[in-house]
Amino acid sequence: MRMIRLAYQNFKGSFKSYLSLILSLAFTVLVFLNFQNIIYSDSFSVLGEHNKEYVDIVVQSVSFILGCFMFFFIWYSTNVFLTKRKKEIGIYVFMGLSNQKIARLYLIEAAFTGLSALALGILFGVFTTGLFQMILLALSEIAIDIRFQFTLEPVVITAVVYLAVYLVFMLKGYFGIVRSSVINLISAAKQNEYVRQKTGVLLLKTVFGVGVLGAGYYLAIRKGGQEVINNVLIAVILVTAGVYLLFGGLLPFLFQRLSSNKRFLYRKQRAIWINSLIFRMKKNYRTYAMVCVLMVCSVTALATGFAMRYRYDNMVRFRNTYTFQLLSGRDDLAGEAESRIEKYSGIACRTEIPILGLDSSVVSAHDFYSQYAFVPYSGMKRLSEQAGLSFPYDEPGEHEAIRASHLNLMSFITERSNVELTIGGTAWRQIEETNVPYLGYLQEIMSFYIVNDRDYKDLLSYGQEMYTYNYRIEDLGAFDAVREALGELTEGEDSDTARVAIDPNNTEMDWIKVLYSLCIFMFLVFILAGGCIMFMKLYNDAFEEKERYLILKKIGTKASVLKKAVKAELFTSYAMPFLIMGISSYFSVHALENVMNTTLLSVYAVSVSTVFVIFIICYILSVSVYLKNAGITSA
Amino acid sequence: MSDEKIVEMKHLVKNYGAGDFQTKVLKGIDMTIYRNDFIAVMGPSGSGKTTLLNILSTIDKPTLGSVLLGGRELTGISNKELSVLRRDKIGLVFQDYNLLDTMSLMDNIALPLSLNGSPAAECRAKAERLAAMFGLSGHLNKYPYQLSGGQKQRGATCRALITKPEIIFADEPTGALDSKSGKDLLDCLKRVNDSGQATVFMVTHDPFCASYAKDVYILSDGAIKCRISRGESRKEFYDRIIDVQTSMGGDFSCE
Repeated sequence: MRMIRLAYQNFKGSFKSYLSLILSLAFTVLVFLNFQNIIYSDSFSVLGEHNKEYVDIVVQSVSFILGCFMFFFIWYSTNVFLTKRKKEIGIYVFMGLSNQKIARLYLIEAAFTGLSALALGILFGVFTTGLFQMILLALSEIAIDIRFQFTLEPVVITAVVYLAVYLVFMLKGYFGIVRSSVINLISAAKQNEYVRQKTGVLLLKTVFGVGVLGAGYYLAIRKGGQEVINNVLIAVILVTAGVYLLFGGLLPFLFQRLSSNKRFLYRKQRAIWINSLIFRMKKNYRTYAMVCVLMVCSVTALATGFAMRYRYDNMVRFRNTYTFQLLSGRDDLAGEAESRIEKYSGIACRTEIPILGLDSSVVSAHDFYSQYAFVPYSGMKRLSEQAGLSFPYDEPGEHEAIRASHLNLMSFITERSNVELTIGGTAWRQIEETNVPYLGYLQEIMSFYIVNDRDYKDLLSYGQEMYTYNYRIEDLGAFDAVREALGELTEGEDSDTARVAIDPNNTEMDWIKVLYSLCIFMFLVFILAGGCIMFMKLYNDAFEEKERYLILKKIGTKASVLKKAVKAELFTSYAMPFLIMGISSYFSVHALENVMNTTLLSVYAVSVSTVFVIFIICYILSVSVYLKNAGITSA
Repeated sequence: MSDEKIVEMKHLVKNYGAGDFQTKVLKGIDMTIYRNDFIAVMGPSGSGKTTLLNILSTIDKPTLGSVLLGGRELTGISNKELSVLRRDKIGLVFQDYNLLDTMSLMDNIALPLSLNGSPAAECRAKAERLAAMFGLSGHLNKYPYQLSGGQKQRGATCRALITKPEIIFADEPTGALDSKSGKDLLDCLKRVNDSGQATVFMVTHDPFCASYAKDVYILSDGAIKCRISRGESRKEFYDRIIDVQTSMGGDFSCE
């Protein structure tokens, strides 16, 4: 009981200094809760069963990533907390308290901190769920009325996940204290602060780090077939490891070299801040690396969001190339179909082409379709002219084909030429692949190949030739009436005509828009987390530096010189992760470009600039807080 | 002895507290320090030694009276000017060394000069010369945690000397050292003083330490009680200090 009271007093007394920790933990709880709430709220069910299912899968995956993030964040912050507490509660050793009792005191204090953060996070989380969903749907351009809704499940799940992770690290701290020696407890603040590291070790880390990072970059952007997904996964691990090695090896190595060069060091305030950076490097490099990896994740998340959005728009445009498509054995259906359409609406675009349908017993290709369709080169060229689509291809040679495929949301197959194809036992070669919607929606449900006219004639013996008639109507309001009118063509037992109607108001793919806004949120979460960690780190460092700045003041160093030294040190602290993030995320975005088959350079520039702006804000805040905490300017 | 006045104290008074609760710590100190002096101030606990040193080294301000450093009045000048003064004219040696543990001894010694904008080659040459004088040549690349207390204090003295200040203020410089290390430091200080490179003003409670000075002032109850000047022998000087200390009674321990 007395232990609890003592812990409570400690907690109350030092509440202000732990506020940053509590707020950061509460922030992770808030974010996790908001994402969980999407699964249990009914706001997204109006998008339909199909969309809701996809949104849930996406949110579950995002929750998993956030769970991992929560794990590392709690690990990091409890470590900071533990180091700080160890130093203070170590004094209890002199009062005759055993390690076990001190550890118990830590456990109770940590529980107070953890529970306060949980309570704060859930409280604000519950209130922000409505707002979060509203912003999410507004960003996704989905109009739904959101009402405040409280569901218990997401709160329980969030609390359980958070408490489980927090408990692990609390116990880790507990056993850490129980096992520490008295001297470790008392000099906790001095631990890990070896000034210089061995050049050989640093060089080894540098060479290894550059190699690992280079290999990661190479794998990330290497084009290929099915192996691309494995390459990307390995690349993620290699880049993360490489970043850690670079911060642990190259940067301390460079700074140590700089500090040995006295001609460089004895200029301006360099002797102060470069030595200070080196002094803290061994302790801080993991933080820099973690922030750098978080920033890479952040930029990649935003690029993914934008890529999804572009792709969604393109997919909708692709699908709506035509409003109606007729597939018929008759080659004289055009006049009849057009007159039926024109009763209700004008025709914005019309095309027709003969196709040869072959099933999978005749054709075998690398991707499996039940139906394959072949079109003659001359027919396709004419169709592209009718539809106003570009067709920059030369006629394929003998047993060569151009694949006309559809747009996938993403494809890990990034190498698309020279693919083997077998038709009726003969080997063919796919020389090119195009995503132009010459045959609109039909390209999504069948695999189309463009072959030369002579080969087409030869292939006719394998299957039956059909004719397609494709129309985009001018007045989309007449969709239902036209569908009805064309439907009559398919009626009757002997009718060999089929109709495909593409509803322009179809919401089947709306979940992709939600994915886009979720990615934007992930971007913000990662970026804020990175900024938070850097801020927290520098906030704590400043207290430890106070004594050194006092000495510098005593020996007559002007406050303006100290300010410049602090600015240079903090600027470098932010610049290092930013620089490596800039390079690494270029490759991650490039890999994404390959997978999504799109250009994301502008998105890369925007997201890196956003990180830059947020870092600058954090830097300015850090400088002013640091100067106060280190006693350089008065509070 | 030179006639050039480095520091002049005129009727220095320092009070702490306010109204009826005021405590007079210094009660009108008058003293002049000339170039190349080596002065030690001794006194019992609470006599005002540290307050006097703080005022002289511009860390504290007097309630009344004035301090002139190199002919310049210190009271009333801005904090910015005080920083410049502290940087250019004063060298400080503290009891607890106050070396920066983030940098090597070489960087610690060269720091004040490099912050003044001196060329790197000059910083390096001066630091090496001073280190040689203080027997630290082999330790320049070491960090404070790798040095003994005596080496740290000699390093701190080098740092104080590198800008060629008008005067060195030392606050119990041997207070944290063993007798051998303390003697080494005092020998070094005496050597630089004898060679005309430094004027030293030192506060100490240790008669042995004070015996290295040329003049010893005994401070008691905020006022200078007596001045003892050194003769030919340091041993004889030490005995005289002990005699005065015994006759005055009181505790001369560190404040």
